Amino acid sequence: MARKPQENPKADLTPMIDVVFQLMIFFVVTIKQEDIFSKLNANRPAPNASSSQSESNDSQVRIDVGPGGLLLNGRSMSLREFDRNMKELSKTSKKATVLVRCTMNSPHRFLVNALDTCYKYEMYNVSIFSM
Amino acid sequence: MAKKPNLEDAALDMTPMIDVVFQLIIFFVVTLKMSDDKDDTIKLEDGKHGIVLTQEELPPSQLTIDVAKTGRVSISNITLTDKMLADKIKERKNKYGSDFPCMIRADHRTPHKYVANVMNVCAAVGVWKLSFVAIQEHKAK
Repeated sequence: MARKPQENPKADLTPMIDVVFQLMIFFVVTIKQEDIFSKLNANRPAPNASSSQSESNDSQVRIDVGPGGLLLNGRSMSLREFDRNMKELSKTSKKATVLVRCTMNSPHRFLVNALDTCYKYEMYNVSIFSM
Repeated sequence: MAKKPNLEDAALDMTPMIDVVFQLIIFFVVTLKMSDDKDDTIKLEDGKHGIVLTQEELPPSQLTIDVAKTGRVSISNITLTDKMLADKIKERKNKYGSDFPCMIRADHRTPHKYVANVMNVCAAVGVWKLSFVAIQEHKAK
C-alpha cells in the first residue's frame, strides 16, 4: 500500500529539544570568561652589560625591587608613595631611562608593580637588571 | 480487538536532531581551545596600565614562556630545561628576527631568580625585548 504523505505532519520535536537543552546546560556550566591580559614591555640588557653604563645620564630613574617592596632612587617606600613619586618624576622627565634592579629573592609581583607604574606615567624606556 | 502498535510512527524523522548535533560539534571544534596549553597554576599580578593583549598582539610569531612559582619553566605546558628554552627561542629568532613578541608569564609569587634566569637565556640568544604578562581586568569567576 502506498504511504500517504500527510499521515504524520507533526514531527516529534521532543528529542531535538532535549539535545538542545542538554547542550545549553553544558555550555553554561563549562564556559568560563577569560581575564583580559595586558603586557608590559621592558628591555633586558645582555648579561655582561653593567648598569653603570648610563649612570652619567641625568634623566634616569632607579628603581630597586627587594623582597619587601620597592625603592625609588634609593628610598624605600610604600606602593602608594611610589606611585606619587613616579607621578612627580614623570612630569619632569617622561623620556627618562628607568633602571629596574631586582634582587634574586624578590617576588615577581613587585617587578610587575614597578613596570605597571612606569606604564601608568608613560615612561616606556625600562631596562631590567638582576642582582 | 486489541490495537496493534502503530509501527508506521516508529520511523521518526531524525534529521533536525542530527543537524543540530552536527552544528554544535562543529561549533565546539572551532571554538574550544585546548585547556592544557598553559600552566594553570600561575596566578598573575594586576597590570592595569599595560598594553591590552588582543588577538592582534598575539601573532603566530609570539612565544609565551610560563614560569611557575616553583621555578618550572614551560611553553604550552611542556617543561623545558634552559638548553631547550634557548633552542626554542633561537628557532623563533631565526624565523622571525629578534623582535618577535617574547612574553614571560610568571606567577606573582615567583622569586626573581627564576625570572632572571629566563631573561638571561633570552638575552644570551639575542632577544632583549621582553614583555611581562599581567591581568588588565578580572573576568574569570
